[in-house]
Amino acid sequence: MGVGEGGGEMAAAAISLDGVRDKNVMQLKKLNTALFPVRYNDKYYADALASGDFTKLAYFSDICVGSIACRLEKKEGGAICVYIMTLGVLAPYRGLGVGTKLLNHVLDLSHQQNIWDIYLHVQTNNDDAIAFYKKFGFEITDTIRNYYMNIRPPDCFVLSKVVAQPHAKK
Amino acid sequence: MGSSLPPKEANLFKVIVKSYETKQYKKGLKAADAILKKFPEHGETLSMKGLTLNCMDRKSEAYELVRRGLKNDLKSHVCWHVYGLLYRSDREYREAIKCYRNALKIDPDNIEILRDLSLLQVQMRDLTGFVETRQQLLSLKPNHRMNWIGFAVAHHLNSNALKAVDILEAYEGTLEDDYPPENEHYEHGEMLLYKISLLEECGLLDRALEEMHRKEAKIVDKLAFKEQMASIVLKLGRFEEGEKIYRSLLFMNSDNYRYFIGLQKCLGLYSEKGEYTSDEIERLDALYKSLREQYSWSSAIKRIPLDFLEGDKFREAADNYVRPLLTKGVPSLFSDLSPLYEQNGKAAILEQLFLHLEHSIKSTGCFPGSSKKEPPSTIMWTLFLVSQHYDRRGQYSLALAKIDEAIEHTPTVIDLYSIKGRILENAGDLPAAADLADEARSMDLADRYLNSECVMHMLQADQVGLAEKTAVLFTKDGDQHNNLHDMQCMWYELASGESYFRQGDLGRALKNYLAVEKHYSDMTEDQFDFHSYCLRKMTLRAYVSMLKFQNQLHSHEYFHKAAVGAIRCYIKLHDFPSKSVTEEGDEMSQLPPSQRKKMRQKQKKAEARAKKEAEERNEEDTTSGTSKSGKRQNSRPVDLDPHGKKLLQVEVPLLEATKYLKLLQSNSAKSLETHILSFEVNMRKQKILLAFQAVNHLLKLNENNPDCHWCLIKFFHKVSSLTSPETDSEKLVWNVLVAERPHISQLSGKSLIEANQSFLEKHKDSLMHRAAAAEMLYVLEPDKKLDAIMLIEDSKNTQAMGNDALVPVNIWKLEDCIAVHKLLEDVFKDHGSASRWGARCAEYFPYSTYFGGCCSSAVMCTISNNTHSPPENGIAACQDAKTVDSHFLNGKLHGLKDLKIQ
Repeated sequence: MGVGEGGGEMAAAAISLDGVRDKNVMQLKKLNTALFPVRYNDKYYADALASGDFTKLAYFSDICVGSIACRLEKKEGGAICVYIMTLGVLAPYRGLGVGTKLLNHVLDLSHQQNIWDIYLHVQTNNDDAIAFYKKFGFEITDTIRNYYMNIRPPDCFVLSKVVAQPHAKK
Repeated sequence: MGSSLPPKEANLFKVIVKSYETKQYKKGLKAADAILKKFPEHGETLSMKGLTLNCMDRKSEAYELVRRGLKNDLKSHVCWHVYGLLYRSDREYREAIKCYRNALKIDPDNIEILRDLSLLQVQMRDLTGFVETRQQLLSLKPNHRMNWIGFAVAHHLNSNALKAVDILEAYEGTLEDDYPPENEHYEHGEMLLYKISLLEECGLLDRALEEMHRKEAKIVDKLAFKEQMASIVLKLGRFEEGEKIYRSLLFMNSDNYRYFIGLQKCLGLYSEKGEYTSDEIERLDALYKSLREQYSWSSAIKRIPLDFLEGDKFREAADNYVRPLLTKGVPSLFSDLSPLYEQNGKAAILEQLFLHLEHSIKSTGCFPGSSKKEPPSTIMWTLFLVSQHYDRRGQYSLALAKIDEAIEHTPTVIDLYSIKGRILENAGDLPAAADLADEARSMDLADRYLNSECVMHMLQADQVGLAEKTAVLFTKDGDQHNNLHDMQCMWYELASGESYFRQGDLGRALKNYLAVEKHYSDMTEDQFDFHSYCLRKMTLRAYVSMLKFQNQLHSHEYFHKAAVGAIRCYIKLHDFPSKSVTEEGDEMSQLPPSQRKKMRQKQKKAEARAKKEAEERNEEDTTSGTSKSGKRQNSRPVDLDPHGKKLLQVEVPLLEATKYLKLLQSNSAKSLETHILSFEVNMRKQKILLAFQAVNHLLKLNENNPDCHWCLIKFFHKVSSLTSPETDSEKLVWNVLVAERPHISQLSGKSLIEANQSFLEKHKDSLMHRAAAAEMLYVLEPDKKLDAIMLIEDSKNTQAMGNDALVPVNIWKLEDCIAVHKLLEDVFKDHGSASRWGARCAEYFPYSTYFGGCCSSAVMCTISNNTHSPPENGIAACQDAKTVDSHFLNGKLHGLKDLKIQ
């Protein structure tokens, strides 16, 4: 939805990504406070910092307007998967392709690093978000009851990106 | 040198001298000791040994040896020269000059000594002496370029620019035709430009111009050449030529304001005060329109017309100016525009314009009359601008509402928080301002500016400890006090001094103020190296302008503030001497005598220990300092008096105050504050005539100022209450006053009461004038206290309708209202009226913590909670505290719909 429409062409040039470091982590906190009804704890920020390039801030003409924060998880057997903790863009700056740019960045990076397992949680009533992720090849793979504590509805879907792993064609 | 010694020792002596010059002090010391073994009383050797030790930081030994050496050989110019060098190294220039003079009596043509002497003379601005010495040097060595130049500069400094020109031309006469060689082009060009500037200074404009034309090829700095030429041509009134040059300068740099001024002058379109007739405005408008076509990238060309345009044209130009900058997002836009607020009527136009823009973007997403969609950030920058506009107009509630709206829109823009902090500061809520500045800081921990801004706000809110911890985040090594001192971080020292003064800690306040004073004497000192360097490098124009700057150095604002602060401390010390001295005394007197003795011993021991440590550390520093010869390590003595306690123990505080007062009088004579302090100090010292002089200065500067009136009345009231004169000098003072009083127009033919009354009549609409008159009424007629208080309470905060603002504006200033409150509380000692006043002001200034306004953090506990929890490491704890705040600021939790991504 919305991607590339409206002001998209004007804004695309003006959007850039930057990493999160201990010096500017407050920007991520500010965004989360504005975007999500959930308060994130220190572990969230430690994970985000630890994920390196998988966590990014998006800038629209030098203003920080969105972010993607990921956690790298180790599965049994040693493979790594990417869990997208949050992806959000400040309301006035939506529809400019910021979210797409952030998500594409993580998808590309995963691809480069041969990580094929990417997943996230979405509140069950968040249709726009579900539609957004589906466009990138995510599918609902599970439903978790009573995932959220203080918000309604308390359930969430698990969305996973199903990737046809390129079994080393030789 | 060393002539009285046998050959072997004479050679050793040469080794000492050489070692000194090459800084191999240990080697020199060895050689000296070898000579002294055989000739223990050899004067020159003793002297040189002393000089060597001086460089190894063994001062007291050095002085002893040098003096002994001199005593043993009074006829040696070496000994005198060394003695001079020793004094010079301790900045005792007057003493050093005396020593050099003695040395020259013995060896009048010694070039080295003459050169050293000349450096000291120019440093001390002994200009006639400097001219003489320079002349001597030139006649001794006329083939040295530097000696010619030095002689010319000396005459210039001694106000004889024409003579300087003659010397430079004589010097040119000694040069070959093909001068200068390849590698000296720049130096020669600089000399020529210097000469031309001298001609201009003398008013010999035609000759200067002629010289420029003749020497053009030899001048390397083409830009300076052009600028100089333009300036001369303009002075000659050759406007067409000038216009051409200024236009070509604009071609090189179309953002240099001086070029625009020059161009306007050539076109007869320049007014110092910016006052133009409508015809002139039209012509100016046309000029800048044509320039804009030529230089579309120049921002000066777009900005300057806002200064002279008026009415609708101004509005249109401002509109065109502001729009692209709002789209682009230029945080400094408001400070760029803020000078316009001093021009009549422009603030109202800007307000209308800004609100119009805001409304249009909110409703259509476009600027008025445009169909181009603005990016989402435009509305945020517009709100940011509107907020600063209201702040400037003193409408703080509106300003805060707008800035909050902007933060709500985009909570990640740091400037929004900084400005919100500043608005709160202006509105009178300093703790909240510090909080906001800290929040801004937390958003980019790598930004030194945000850090400094935060420190400043914390100091203003008297959170000195917190400020120190925050400042330290950006200093090296964590030894912050020394580090900030070394960096001459004066804003920090001044703000700490002021905070300590407010908190009554005079010792630390003084310590900070005196630190600033020290920086200025260091700056005076810093010019020393340039006396020889600039003459050698021929950067003469820069050199002379540096010397002129140094002559004015102590008139700089920071010095003024520091001196004022220090004087205030000393006055307070004079008024309340018990406080500092007896505090310790009290503590002791409560103890029984035996313990008292013990305690004193303990103190002494502690002091001795600190001293010893300090010395040890010094030693360490110097040894490590010399081993790492590349790095100059300053030996840092441990601060024996970190709280400035010793500074409080001055015997006569007013004597110290007088020292700084003199500097103010000679450097800030145009400031009312200088003379008010002079009045205060001299009244306390019973120096009637000096106080009278201060009053006269004040009246001359601004007879309508309430403080001046205050001093005037207070002075004559005090004088009239003195006992009739007895001694001759008292009679003399008396006679002077009797003779002078009729010359003061305010008092002629009037009693003090009448003078006070007529002052009140004249300024009855101004709060501060009424307050001054009321205070004087109370002083003159104590039984009219109630009338006086009523005078104050009857003041009206007239809401200025119409003329310049759309919404009524407070005309009273917060600081004035606070001063009036203190007056009622401390001078009238009338709690009833003071609290009535406080309540009234709390309404005018709802954000003021002083008056406990309903919106201030003193009342709203949400914010003040975390100001009292100093962070443990300066970052983490702060952020924790801040999350509450940011939560509250970004606030208003978004509904679930906002969760949606994209």
